[in-house]
Amino acid sequence: MKKKLELLFFLLPVIILVAFFVYGFIGWSFYTSLTDWRIIGVKGEFVGFENYKFLFTRDRSFKSTLFNTLELSAIFIGVTMPLGLALAILLDLGIYAKKVFRIIFLLPLSFSFVASASMWFWMFSPEIGVINSFLRLLGMGNLAQPWITSSTQSLWCIAIAYVWQFSGFATLVYYSGISGVSEDIREAARIDGASKFQEYWRIVIPMQKPATLTVLVILLMYSLKVFDLVWLMTGGGPGRSSEVLSTLMYKTTFSRNFFGRGASIGIVMFVISLIIILPFFVRRRRSDYE
Amino acid sequence: MKKSVILLLICSMLMLSFTAFSAKENELLVYHWWTAGGEKVAIDALFEAFLEKYPEYRIVENPVGGGGGGLMRSQIKTMIMAGNPPDTFQITYGTGMIESFTSVLQPIDNLMKDFNVPQDVMDWGRVDGKMYGVPLNIMQSNCLWYNKEIIEEVGIQMPIHSIGEFYVACEKIKNAGYTPLAVGSGMGQGYWIGTLYEAIVSALPNGGEVLNAYYAGEVIPSENETLVEALKTLANIYNNGYINSDFSALTWDQAGQLLATGKAAFFVMGDWTKGLFDASGLKANVDYGYQSFPGSSLFVGHADCFVLPKGVDSQVAKDWLSYLTTAEAETVFCPLKGATPPRLDAPVEGIYDSIAQEIMGKFRDPGVTKILSEFGAPPESYLSLFGTFFSEFFLEPEVNDATLENFDITYEEVFLY
Repeated sequence: MKKKLELLFFLLPVIILVAFFVYGFIGWSFYTSLTDWRIIGVKGEFVGFENYKFLFTRDRSFKSTLFNTLELSAIFIGVTMPLGLALAILLDLGIYAKKVFRIIFLLPLSFSFVASASMWFWMFSPEIGVINSFLRLLGMGNLAQPWITSSTQSLWCIAIAYVWQFSGFATLVYYSGISGVSEDIREAARIDGASKFQEYWRIVIPMQKPATLTVLVILLMYSLKVFDLVWLMTGGGPGRSSEVLSTLMYKTTFSRNFFGRGASIGIVMFVISLIIILPFFVRRRRSDYE
Repeated sequence: MKKSVILLLICSMLMLSFTAFSAKENELLVYHWWTAGGEKVAIDALFEAFLEKYPEYRIVENPVGGGGGGLMRSQIKTMIMAGNPPDTFQITYGTGMIESFTSVLQPIDNLMKDFNVPQDVMDWGRVDGKMYGVPLNIMQSNCLWYNKEIIEEVGIQMPIHSIGEFYVACEKIKNAGYTPLAVGSGMGQGYWIGTLYEAIVSALPNGGEVLNAYYAGEVIPSENETLVEALKTLANIYNNGYINSDFSALTWDQAGQLLATGKAAFFVMGDWTKGLFDASGLKANVDYGYQSFPGSSLFVGHADCFVLPKGVDSQVAKDWLSYLTTAEAETVFCPLKGATPPRLDAPVEGIYDSIAQEIMGKFRDPGVTKILSEFGAPPESYLSLFGTFFSEFFLEPEVNDATLENFDITYEEVFLY
């Protein structure tokens, strides 16, 4: 009992801070989302779920923005995870200049979002960007694309930049997961006549479930709340073609002064994150007990 | 020994708190968005001149660049909501923009005695009969800038007098292999297309009245012939191929560089562009020229102003705002920023270049109607909502039922919801 009290004593400051700054403000945001707050410095009236009703029935941006967010998440995760795993396997295979490649793979992770957004913004610029310039240099000017100025390509450009930034992270987690596979098991497989492909396909990759879960949850969290790259590369445009929930929330709250409605977008983001991420944790908890 | 240590500590703490108190008393915490080029030079010179006059004060400035002040306004809102406003901050001088902040501002009529500016400019800053900001620099936004070398090469007679003539000029320029009109609306800054739209409206019959009513929320856009006509003109300019294809990837200054580097002939942008051209080493009326947007006899513009938040009662803030009302402050700031001083008695000769004087002449001419621009007249939300609207319109520039419905709904979002 005394030990439990001691433990509680040491944990109390953290519990209070997290309760106040995380859950307290989530609660405050939820309350704000139930008001019609529009005037700076003057709290709005309680309007119930009117803001949510507006978002799902009358707001012309919300549905396309929600779809953009989910599309970006799907592309981002769908590419980053296999890419990270492939790069980790390459490192594990002991490729030439492994240390150099390890640094190259991990380098994007050390870049700030602002720096990488600026870099990709210039690369994707249709007139002076390095990608189109390179294509023109090779005499393939007809393949030059409008990239970020196109309403159909802008979201893909952001996804590419995002994949580049996070593939190093996925590589890192998978590489440590692969390194954790016992050499005895792998050696037993080799003795049994397993080829290199079979060794990875049947032994190493199936054992990466915990790493996959870690990568998936973290990538999901980042992709659902992506802001910096979108804001700095396209600002959500052209039109609304690359608008995501976080940029819409910012614009609604701070540029349009719909504070209540902005808070409701934030709560929707929170709920979507919970819906997507909670099952993974529940499943993991179950498997831990099993 | 122990007692003396405690005494020393108490004395130090008292001294520290006294120093902090006196520093706060004489300190002006100011937020603005002038972070680069001539704007930064101008505000630095203004601070210096203020401190020369009031050496007992200290200025703590927090410049927040980007988004035409949008990012700074966001930051200010969070500070105000947290109950921690700065002593003064910059916003656009105009009824709509100021009205978006009046709930947290103090009226400053008592600080603006003998402020010799045109009556309509005074009215730009009044909300419910009270003044809330000191305008520091007047800017004209319906300007047409042109690259003199291209214009001479193609053989276009300037000034251009109508939108029809403008089309003809654009066609000639396009055929000569140049981009006729530089536009930049990238990074979520679709409101620069709004500046072009506004300039077009100002050139149409009754443009001034329409703009005033439009920004006051008094029209149904789809039912207003002038507004629809301007939208069609905007679509024509795009569909005729007069605009640079990468407009949605460029910021306004990058678009201005297309003119500065001889790739584009025209640029519709406010007179702050002069600072950009001057900083690029171009000479006014030698390398680049200016006229009001073809066919427009109006002065469409706005100003930047500084305001006094509620709860701020420091003498330094009041002295700062009073100082800004003087011709001295305007004469320090405006020539460096490349703007027009609001005061009618601010000296001109030998201080401003020929283009600045031409703009000033229009501003001071009582016969020229002054119209408040999109940056000051409508509520703050206009810039963001219509920025998206214009950006979306340029994806498929066609004036059809869907476009007009979108126009009306966006307008309702600004003024009704």
